[in-house]
Amino acid sequence: MIKITTRVRTFMSAATVATVSLVGAAAHAQDAEFTIAVSIPAATHGWTGGVVYHAQRAEKEIEAAFPNIDVIVTTASSATAQVSALEDLSATRDLDALVILPFTSDELTGPVEQVKSNGTFITVVDRGLADPTIHDLYVAGDNIAVGANTAAWLVDKLGGKGEIVVLRGIPTVIDDERIKGFSDVIAESDIKILDVQYANWNQDEAFTLMQDYLARFPNIDAVWANDDDMLLGVLEAIDQAERKDIRFALGGNGMKQVIEMVMAGDERTPISTPYPPSMIASAIYMTASQFAGQAPMRGSFKLAAPLITPENADQFYFADSPF
Amino acid sequence: MTELTSKSDSSDGIDTPTALRAEGLAKAYGSITVLSDVTLDIRAGEVHAVIGENGAGKSTLMKILSGHTAPTGGHLLMEGRRSDFADAIQAEAAGVVLVHQEILLASDLTVAQNLFLGRELTRGLMVDDRAMNRRTAEVLTSVGSIAHPTDRVGDHSLAQQQLFQIARALLDDRKVVILDEPTAMLANDEVAALIDIVRKLRDRGVAVLYISHRLEEVEALADRVTVLRDGKMIGTWPAANLDQRQMAELMVGRELSMLYPAKREVASEPPILEVTNLSVDQGKVEGSFAVRRGEILGIGGMIGAGRTELMEGLMGLRPSHAKSVILNGKQITLFHVDKLMQAGLVYLTEDRKGKGLLLNEPLAPNLTLQALDTVSPGMTLNRDKENEALKQAVQDYDIRVPSLTMAAGKLSGGNQQKLLLAKIMLDDPSVIIIDEPTRGIDIGNKSQIYKFIDTLVRAGKACVVISSELPELVGLSDRVLVMRGGRFVAELSGAQITEQNIVYAAASNGQDIEEKKTA
Amino acid sequence: MSTANITEAPEIRTRRIPWSEMAPFIALAIILVLGATLNSNFLSSNNLLNVITRSSFIAIIAVGATFIIASGGLDLSVGSMMAFVTGIMILSMNALVPVLGNWAILGGAGVALVVGALCGLFNGLIITVGRIEPFIVTLGTMGIFRAFIIFLSDGGSLPIDRSLRAAYRPVYFGDFMGVPYPVLMTLVVIVFGAFLLYRTKFGRRVTASGSNEDVARFSGVHVGRIRTTTYVIQGVCVGIAAICYVPRLGAATPTTGQLWELQVITAVVIGGTLLRGGKARIWGSVAGALILEVIANVMVLSDLVSEYLVAAVQGAIIIIAMLAHRFTNAR
Repeated sequence: MIKITTRVRTFMSAATVATVSLVGAAAHAQDAEFTIAVSIPAATHGWTGGVVYHAQRAEKEIEAAFPNIDVIVTTASSATAQVSALEDLSATRDLDALVILPFTSDELTGPVEQVKSNGTFITVVDRGLADPTIHDLYVAGDNIAVGANTAAWLVDKLGGKGEIVVLRGIPTVIDDERIKGFSDVIAESDIKILDVQYANWNQDEAFTLMQDYLARFPNIDAVWANDDDMLLGVLEAIDQAERKDIRFALGGNGMKQVIEMVMAGDERTPISTPYPPSMIASAIYMTASQFAGQAPMRGSFKLAAPLITPENADQFYFADSPF
Repeated sequence: MTELTSKSDSSDGIDTPTALRAEGLAKAYGSITVLSDVTLDIRAGEVHAVIGENGAGKSTLMKILSGHTAPTGGHLLMEGRRSDFADAIQAEAAGVVLVHQEILLASDLTVAQNLFLGRELTRGLMVDDRAMNRRTAEVLTSVGSIAHPTDRVGDHSLAQQQLFQIARALLDDRKVVILDEPTAMLANDEVAALIDIVRKLRDRGVAVLYISHRLEEVEALADRVTVLRDGKMIGTWPAANLDQRQMAELMVGRELSMLYPAKREVASEPPILEVTNLSVDQGKVEGSFAVRRGEILGIGGMIGAGRTELMEGLMGLRPSHAKSVILNGKQITLFHVDKLMQAGLVYLTEDRKGKGLLLNEPLAPNLTLQALDTVSPGMTLNRDKENEALKQAVQDYDIRVPSLTMAAGKLSGGNQQKLLLAKIMLDDPSVIIIDEPTRGIDIGNKSQIYKFIDTLVRAGKACVVISSELPELVGLSDRVLVMRGGRFVAELSGAQITEQNIVYAAASNGQDIEEKKTA
Repeated sequence: MSTANITEAPEIRTRRIPWSEMAPFIALAIILVLGATLNSNFLSSNNLLNVITRSSFIAIIAVGATFIIASGGLDLSVGSMMAFVTGIMILSMNALVPVLGNWAILGGAGVALVVGALCGLFNGLIITVGRIEPFIVTLGTMGIFRAFIIFLSDGGSLPIDRSLRAAYRPVYFGDFMGVPYPVLMTLVVIVFGAFLLYRTKFGRRVTASGSNEDVARFSGVHVGRIRTTTYVIQGVCVGIAAICYVPRLGAATPTTGQLWELQVITAVVIGGTLLRGGKARIWGSVAGALILEVIANVMVLSDLVSEYLVAAVQGAIIIIAMLAHRFTNAR
């Protein structure tokens, strides 16, 4: 899933600093038998920050549990930088496995295939490659379900009618899929989508856009922000305007602050949808199990997008995660 | 007033066909007329000089003739045919080209690239550098330039750059070449070379229109002379009928009083400024000099001899160090324009437009920029005092301005120079260094500036004048130091101060100079 | 003859209407009229207050940028600097809460101003002492500051302490006699900036340095010192913007202030300040900031174009505004 791709807008040096420190940290276990390389986008936004956090956590846990496995995490700030990182990794080490969360499908397909030709085990996370025969293992979330499940919940709660506004992220496949999943379900009801505009997965821009929505539409029954980062900006705008007509304001991704609200039984934001950055950890564990010898795995694993409700929220809550 | 009468007919000895003829040209901006009823012809194979004070309308005339500006009255005839140029490109296509007074070259490109800028020779899709360099080398030789086609323009002196501009104009065959003060930036030997080039052009049958302040050049070069005054045409004369004094009188419309003020008696008291072993630009330029109250010290030498560099170094505008600089009896340790001004030393740059004035800013901020702390002692600006200072300066220095709020860049060269003089005098300094005090300004303003300098010095100040104009050095200075190759090579005083001696010191080899110095 | 001797005719010609200075305000007026005709809600006091309030960040930073650009410099790092200052401010407020309680907000504000000034000083010294192009230096610090905020927030968000939220919130959302505090703050910054630029010797030297560095140097202006000071002023402006910004969303994230540098430079240039220096229009810069924000607002309110094309319309309007500038200037 490429939410990451486009959210990443940092400057090269940021990624370079991060990469150097991570590589340095991993260098201690050089004499391990098996090497697993993990290539992920740099932390430039809440969700990618979560990916980096979970990858680093998985690295420590696995290296502690299996001393013969060395995990190397590298981050990249763009598709080009990720391709370069792959080249550097395969040139300097004998890789037994590669876990990759690609920036984009098309650009990374060739380079990953190149790595595979050396006999490296390939695990692809989130965003699939253009050629599905390359990966040995595929772990991904379901963006269409994120949109569809939220929409279904809204249709139900609003009784099939009402007026809503939607905030989009950055023009990308993830955003398109979520919006498609959402609007397909809404289209079958009498709910009217008043407007859809981009707010670039940015809190500030979501705040601004929501202020404008509120000025333009005297009545709004619900808001879907497609992402919890944006949701925070939306809530701030609604609070400031003291508007009481908005019954529901929903996001997605399962951000820590929003899950806290769900746990507390917030009336306006009673649910979220998981799109957990921890999927990178799951993928690293599954990959490591190849070499630990107990549980060889192949195939595709698609994470469901169940609603996070006050009842199950604690399962999705990680107190010290940055996301 | 002169008794000469205008003779615009062809009975003046030159009987070649007319290349370009202007009939009744006029130009007005709104209600302001800057040029009226100018009729003249430029013939193939003649050098036709146009002279006049600044503001007389010379530039406007040049711009109309070369298509840069459209006239509001009258018309042009090219070889007898009516041809009103829509723009400079049309004029060039018809064979008329203007060589600007200012250097309009891209200093980071090579000479050849500049010459062919916008009309590069190509071979297929590729730029044909070899052909351009070859052609450039030919043209450079024909104008007497020593530069190589692949040299970077910025690495050459202004004089060479002026030659490049002329070379650029001569790349194609031209019928009419207009030279706008081509020698304003040149030193004497370079002027001689340029005059040679112009003569060659004339001999090739080109019609040359020559604008210059330097009447001796006009006398030496021109076949006919047209005089403009206050936007009106005074007349056209064969050059042989006019001497320099007559030309000057026609320009200003009155008898010229003595151009240079009488010399002063310099008291033999200790110097007010004494500079010992000043070394600038890592020793490229070095020198010691001293100047007394009531004295004008002239600094002579070729362009590039290091005179400007030495003074800029003294002001801390270039990397420099000195054994000792004593000003008003006090040792100066920190070289910075601001600190030196407080101690009583100011410097007026030779580069009026590039380093002297903020051309887009109004007059008052320009006047007060250097002495801002004197005009406005507190943190805030004192606009009333600034305007007062401006009115005072306009009066004291006879700066002619249509409006007190105009931009400094719109003043004529002479008035800009007077504004600059007012600017550096605002803090009442005791030692004034003026670099090329009258470069590119007309004879009326020149004479005024000489008077100002004389008045200052008579009031007990000391003045150092750097000049490339020999008559100016001779006419003004009580003492002259001559520089060559970054060192002082001669000191002349009293009757020794002659143009010949200065040129000799500036151009001859070292041994003779040592003798002269001790003499 | 076109010149007249002033001693005989002392006059200061009455100034004609300075169209070129009015251009940004005329453009703003046109966009306001356009907005009003497209949607009646546009002129509601709520909407206008929202728009003006949220334009205050760019406006405040644009005041500082006007100084830098007028002196012949450029600062691409303001957006990242803003995020970094915000981050440091939140961290220090959170650390001060146990000791100072609500006074931690003041402490944090002080920290923001100091850190902002230091960031600016850092930029300024590298540019003037190191003699490196401002474009390259601030491109570098843009990356450095951005990396710092990502590092500080672990790539996530850096929220302020919950106990401060209520006390601090009014700084963005509150008002004094109907005027929101950020707007008041902006006005103070503008008035102070205009005073500094137009009424003091420092301001005169700033424009002189930008107009022609050589002339300034030859006139005894300490160009390096002046330029460094403009960067410090910019840093302080960023600090002030941070103080107004934090209470809005209560957090700093890696996307805080993203691409603001371009908005700021656009606002300054639309406002009539020359990008090559020498001419400064503080009020114009503020009008520029308002224009950018109002265009975005009108786009959302009007539903004129597809969501996919909004950015294209914004870009086109900016270019038209600049063309109008050129046109009025040519008169």
